[in-house]
Amino acid sequence: MILKLAVRNIFRHRTRSLITLSTIVFGCVAIIFIGGFFEDVFIQLREGFIEAQTGHIQVYKVGFNQKGKVDPFNYLIENSGEVISVIRQLPEVDYVTPRIQFSGLLSTGNNTVSFIGQGVDPRYERTLSKEAVADLRKAYKEGVKQGVTTLKTGQGLDSNDEYGVILGEGLAAGIDAKAQSSVTLLTNTVDGSNNALDMKVRGVFYTSSKSFDEVFLRLPLVTAQKLLNTESVQSLLIKLHHTDDTQEVKNKLQSLFQEKHFNLEMRTWDELTEFYAQTVDLFKKFYLIMKVIIFIVVVLSIFNTMSMSVLERISEIGTIMAMGTRPKGVILLFLYEGIGLGVIGGVVGVILGCAIVQVVSGIGITMPPPPGGNVGWLSHPMIVPKVLFSTFVFSIFIGGLSAFYPAYRASRLVITEALRYR
Amino acid sequence: MHLIEVKNLFKNYSLNKTSIEVLKGVNLKINKGEFLVIAGPSGSGKTTLLNIMGCIDKPSSGEVSVDGQQIINMTPNELADVRAQKIGFVFQNFNLFPVLSAIENVEYSLLFKPMSQVEKRKKAQEALSMVGLSAFAKHKPLELSGGQQQRVAVARAIVRDPLFILADEPTANLDHKTGEEIIALMKKRNRERKTTFIFSTHDQKIIDQADRVVKIWDGEIK
Repeated sequence: MILKLAVRNIFRHRTRSLITLSTIVFGCVAIIFIGGFFEDVFIQLREGFIEAQTGHIQVYKVGFNQKGKVDPFNYLIENSGEVISVIRQLPEVDYVTPRIQFSGLLSTGNNTVSFIGQGVDPRYERTLSKEAVADLRKAYKEGVKQGVTTLKTGQGLDSNDEYGVILGEGLAAGIDAKAQSSVTLLTNTVDGSNNALDMKVRGVFYTSSKSFDEVFLRLPLVTAQKLLNTESVQSLLIKLHHTDDTQEVKNKLQSLFQEKHFNLEMRTWDELTEFYAQTVDLFKKFYLIMKVIIFIVVVLSIFNTMSMSVLERISEIGTIMAMGTRPKGVILLFLYEGIGLGVIGGVVGVILGCAIVQVVSGIGITMPPPPGGNVGWLSHPMIVPKVLFSTFVFSIFIGGLSAFYPAYRASRLVITEALRYR
Repeated sequence: MHLIEVKNLFKNYSLNKTSIEVLKGVNLKINKGEFLVIAGPSGSGKTTLLNIMGCIDKPSSGEVSVDGQQIINMTPNELADVRAQKIGFVFQNFNLFPVLSAIENVEYSLLFKPMSQVEKRKKAQEALSMVGLSAFAKHKPLELSGGQQQRVAVARAIVRDPLFILADEPTANLDHKTGEEIIALMKKRNRERKTTFIFSTHDQKIIDQADRVVKIWDGEIK
């Protein structure tokens, strides 16, 4: 009966309750929408890095990450074929591909700049056209593959074209090179002597990272090995079917490497992309601040409604208490009202939030390039179940919390004074 | 044993740093089944005495026993339980819950009774029928006249079969005829079920029906 009384009282002053409910609904929608937007940002950014730069896991010879920067060619993997066949046994692995990275000078004859080169296997590390990337985006509802290196002009690497190279957009601009330009790559071999190769620019690419595009070029692994005079590789890049499997696969590989006595170490994508972690941290702090502001606004709104409600119903509270309701019962009555507002607001807010996210996601929000980024992107806010759940719980909690003090005050009324109150 | 026994009861109120003595050593014994009126002019202390006997106010000193239980040192929760189990109230302004229908208002009174929802509804219907309002069970208080609202209030008081019902000026907001009807209703209940009624009033219609009239004047029983 107390519950019935509470529910009826919610609808007693419809306009006032509607305004309070609107505040709760607006708060819920804002949390759901921004939560979904940030989630999309996190996933797109994460998958961008994974796809274009890091893969999910990279495997190196032990010591590479501590001393490899000074002396990279002392930490090469010599038995890469054997290691790759072990890694491929795991069903979570999509593909594994070797890489070798080196630095040198790039020249067109007129201009010379320094570069970082990545020898990659063109069969796996694709460079796609804008259209193909767009198709991929459509194919992956979760927004993955956003970071595939995208061709600005020309063509991607081809296993059959050993002397074709692709240049990052900034790097190409620096030496005024275009597709079909002839360039010379000058570097040191693994044993320290100089070596150079004349190559043809097949295309110019860009990724989500501007700084990457300003220094990096890519060429077929076999060509890079020839240039460096080695048959070894520096790292193995592992791409998984699902990003969530990263840690599990790392653990499995650790056991396998120990079992096989491979002298190898690993880095996962999140250890390799400090920028991602910092961005996520920053966005999460924004989100928290926003949630705190919404929390305060909603608490004040419900608190105001409940305080007005207590003030208007002093005589009624006196009657309830005179009829034998304990102070706890009075507290419950107003708590139920606050929680009721929270439940109704939460349900409507979650439904409306989902609908708005769905509509906006269908249309997409055009976003400018992120800091340090090269290209704008289309955001598709996501419906995140855990955000929906926490928003609903948050709404109920906030309803109860805001009603508590007015409820407590109501329970402390002196019955005779309350009955006299008009 | 008396249903209610009041001994040497004092009640002081503080108002603007001055203490006002409202009850000055009141002694009163009320028997089961009485239709008793506490009469006196405004400010004589009759409502205060009624409130203390109804366990909604505490005296400054003295003793009050209700159904053999001393209530003076009881906690708020214990007093609430006494009210829920033993006392019914009829107020001058009816004090119905506007968001509940007539039958729900009556049913609310059975909130603390250990019975099923179906039984509660049945009892509430019987009580409404007893006050002649079966046809108005679904009506909200604001859809009823003043007399009908007070009938609902009486039904709400009697439905829980209390040991006694306290009625503070129950006819003050009713016209003459309706007031008479309400008094007749309560008198009938008193006659048929031996329910004790204690009124605080100066309405002659009620005084005329009383078994006993206790006159209070300036905080003292004369």
